[in-house]
Amino acid sequence: MYFKKNLNKSFNILLLKILIIFVFILVSFFIIIPLLPLFLKSFSDNKNNFIGLENFINYIQNPSLTQSFINSLKVALTTTFFSVLIGFIYAYALTRTRLPFKKFFNTFSLFSLYIPPLAVAIGLIYIFGKQGLITQGFFGTIPGFDINLYGFNGIIIGEIFYCFPQALIILVSALNLSDQRLYEAAESLKASPLRKFLTITLPNIKYGLMNSFFICFILSFTDFGVPKVVGGNFNVLATDIYKQVVGQQNFAMGATISIYLLVPSILAFLIDKNFQKNEASLISGKSIPFKPRKNLIVDSIMFIFCSLILILVIGVFSSIVLASLIKIWPYDISLSLQNFRFSNVAGNGYEPYFNTVFMSIYTAIFGTIFVFFTAYLVEKFKPLKKIRMLIYFFSTLPIAIPGLVLGLSYILFFNKPSFSVPFLDFQIFNPFSLLYGTMGILVLANIIHFFTVCFISATTTLKQIDKEFEEVSESLKVPFYKTFLRITIPLSLPTILEIGSYYFVNSMITVSAIIFLYPAKIPVSSVSIVNMDDAGDTASAAAMSTLIVLTSLFVRLIYEFTSRNVSKKSSVWINPLET
Amino acid sequence: MIKKEGSFKYLEIKNISKNFGETFVLKNIHLDVFKGEFLCLLGPSGCGKTTLLRIISGLERQTNGDIVQDGLLISNSPTEKRDFGIVFQSYALFPNLNAKQNIAYGLENKKINKKEIEKRTNNLIRLVGLEKNSDQFPSQLSGGQQQRVALARAMALSPGLLLLDEPLSALDAQVRSKLRNEIKLIQKKLNLTTIMVTHDQTEALSMADRVVVMERGHIAQIGTPFELYENPITPFVADFIGKMNLLKGKYDKKNCVFYYLNNRFLISQNTEYSFLENCLLGIRPEDIEIIKFRKNIEKEENILRVKIKEITYLGTIFRLTVVLESKLEENIFVDVISNQVISNNLKIGDFIDIKLKKEKIKLFESNL
Repeated sequence: MYFKKNLNKSFNILLLKILIIFVFILVSFFIIIPLLPLFLKSFSDNKNNFIGLENFINYIQNPSLTQSFINSLKVALTTTFFSVLIGFIYAYALTRTRLPFKKFFNTFSLFSLYIPPLAVAIGLIYIFGKQGLITQGFFGTIPGFDINLYGFNGIIIGEIFYCFPQALIILVSALNLSDQRLYEAAESLKASPLRKFLTITLPNIKYGLMNSFFICFILSFTDFGVPKVVGGNFNVLATDIYKQVVGQQNFAMGATISIYLLVPSILAFLIDKNFQKNEASLISGKSIPFKPRKNLIVDSIMFIFCSLILILVIGVFSSIVLASLIKIWPYDISLSLQNFRFSNVAGNGYEPYFNTVFMSIYTAIFGTIFVFFTAYLVEKFKPLKKIRMLIYFFSTLPIAIPGLVLGLSYILFFNKPSFSVPFLDFQIFNPFSLLYGTMGILVLANIIHFFTVCFISATTTLKQIDKEFEEVSESLKVPFYKTFLRITIPLSLPTILEIGSYYFVNSMITVSAIIFLYPAKIPVSSVSIVNMDDAGDTASAAAMSTLIVLTSLFVRLIYEFTSRNVSKKSSVWINPLET
Repeated sequence: MIKKEGSFKYLEIKNISKNFGETFVLKNIHLDVFKGEFLCLLGPSGCGKTTLLRIISGLERQTNGDIVQDGLLISNSPTEKRDFGIVFQSYALFPNLNAKQNIAYGLENKKINKKEIEKRTNNLIRLVGLEKNSDQFPSQLSGGQQQRVALARAMALSPGLLLLDEPLSALDAQVRSKLRNEIKLIQKKLNLTTIMVTHDQTEALSMADRVVVMERGHIAQIGTPFELYENPITPFVADFIGKMNLLKGKYDKKNCVFYYLNNRFLISQNTEYSFLENCLLGIRPEDIEIIKFRKNIEKEENILRVKIKEITYLGTIFRLTVVLESKLEENIFVDVISNQVISNNLKIGDFIDIKLKKEKIKLFESNL
């Protein structure tokens, strides 16, 4: 009846489906599938015989190991409580008060993000350790004071340094979403400040509060760097895994402890995810942002509080730098650069440092491309909804996978040249095994380890870009990839740069994901900090830490400079005129 | 269905339905659009008009039914294979491209040489009157100018069909009426078949050749603006296009009399209403007259004595809200030219007599 033309086939939709499936396969193989050999391992002995729950039973029956589990929980809960509390007060000061020098406090609040947790721990040693500045009263000039750093106390202080900025970021953005009109309405109804706080402020940020609680819990429960350096005899799960795998080559027990570490994290992640599902924006587009009023008492208290926090952060950083420049602490306190030679430690010199820089550059480049493209496919298109939802779920999961667990699962997965198919005499070649023993596996581990935060920020940006752009392109017969290159990427450039710098900085400072993975011929600097510290060469460890922090800060500066230029260039079209 | 002279069915919508899970959004839509016609889909929000437009474009897929465009069955064709241009309510202009680049976006993808692209883009810019603004970015353009860019971009590939999704609703009143005329002029000049979605009845009446009034997923009535205003076939259409007083009562077919409470109204003989008994009497506010006080009003037909409850000034006319003493909650609206209100010194609380013009009375089936 009608002319039959080839109207029904679309190359673009086919291409799109192939791309979505391709990305699905990649995230499956990089995030989910590597966990399977880990699970299998935890049910086997070291000769790969299946032994059921024996490892888990052995674990529970070993009092020193179960003690570690309790210790980890204790550390995580204490850290979470203090990090969220400090993060909240600091965030409140930044967003809801007339804190003097707010810009300064804002910029430096996130300074400790650039210091590896390992380095924080080393800094703490120089302040509170046996020969520390405070313990010895500044080289004996004033009476000393010993806080008993090695053990629980040290771990808690170090973890708070590490977790508090994470809580701060979440809470600042939660507190920034406010509506002046609600407070004005409450005031006109004669509500007291406490009542306003309890009925407006708290309900508004409850999702942010919960989220920061779970993030801090996961980070401090699974962190390896701080307990490794200042833990002393206070064992936690993360250090136990390290001892089992590196010390005793007991992969089965390492895998078993990993499960004990993984399960609470995933649980916290799922509870949080379920909780955030109910989040509905209480703030409408017409909201008027909150404008804090002057309050001398509150503002001064906040000023003192924030100053104390910053003094601690800067103090720790300064002590790292100082320690790296002093010849032999505390006996010969003359300045020298000898600690920066790294000649007496394993003879690697600057090789670990440059390896780390290159690894971070690769991570930033490939990670940003992969994460942004994944978010784009998930967010912008309609085909294959279920698969896209799975990609989304997998992409948010890595935040709950502790670095050590990820590293261990990568070893177990990537070192197998082939898989045997059960019940059949058949082997499948594992193409990913080619990455084993190369820098590629380190880069990949970093990309996945920090995937979630980057993925969420890419998704958020893409959501803000009008979805009708894709529809307009379709109606103009322009294929989606052209619109992606010409419209979506330019509009997302600020976020793309941000993701790149986040990847770089975190790859510079991370230790847990790569400590099991790094090939002997590719030493990396964060691992050499661990080794130097183990060997008692703390000054060289401090010197390496200083280099890492300075490099991260340098890259961050480049980022700030570039992004300022980008936003200047794009300001014409980034703030659309209200019509 | 009226077929315009010399035109043919360009777009046939056959039995289109759309469900989202259990709830249906469109049910058995039949619609023919003629070549060169300007058709409006009009209805309140949630009536399915935008969904229908998106189904025509292929951005949304129908659950059932077929679409034929220019003799080709396109029911399952992907969007990029269909022949149309679209303007969205938000315009969706690419913020990082200037006006000219936005307009040329579709052309640049075609395999035509740069000179030709330049020429066609400039023609489009001239057509929508943006010669002075072609280098500006969307954020530097006013709402009306952005709208023109979106229109030019949609027409760049010379589509056979232009789809407009509430294209004027983001603009202020003055710009809107100016653009209404311009769009209409361009559309007629190019003889471009156009379907526009709107919830604004004035916009639909002033622009469209024919209007499709939609209500809860189906078509309530199709007709020219004049037909819809003069002969609405349901109370919904009657009250959506303009204003209509609706009084519930009983109809005596034999004597052509409508009973409302204890008042009787004569209905024109020549109208045929098949239904009996419970039905609605409809009359527009401008079809009610005010009768000056007289003693022997019983002899006049179709008179009601009412009390003025509210007087609203609307410029050239006043709209009176009046009520019957026995039925205070049912408002009847009467439009009176301003002079009459002033010269008679009408005030709230006054009693007046109103007359319903017999030939203007409509009856509707009551489904209440």
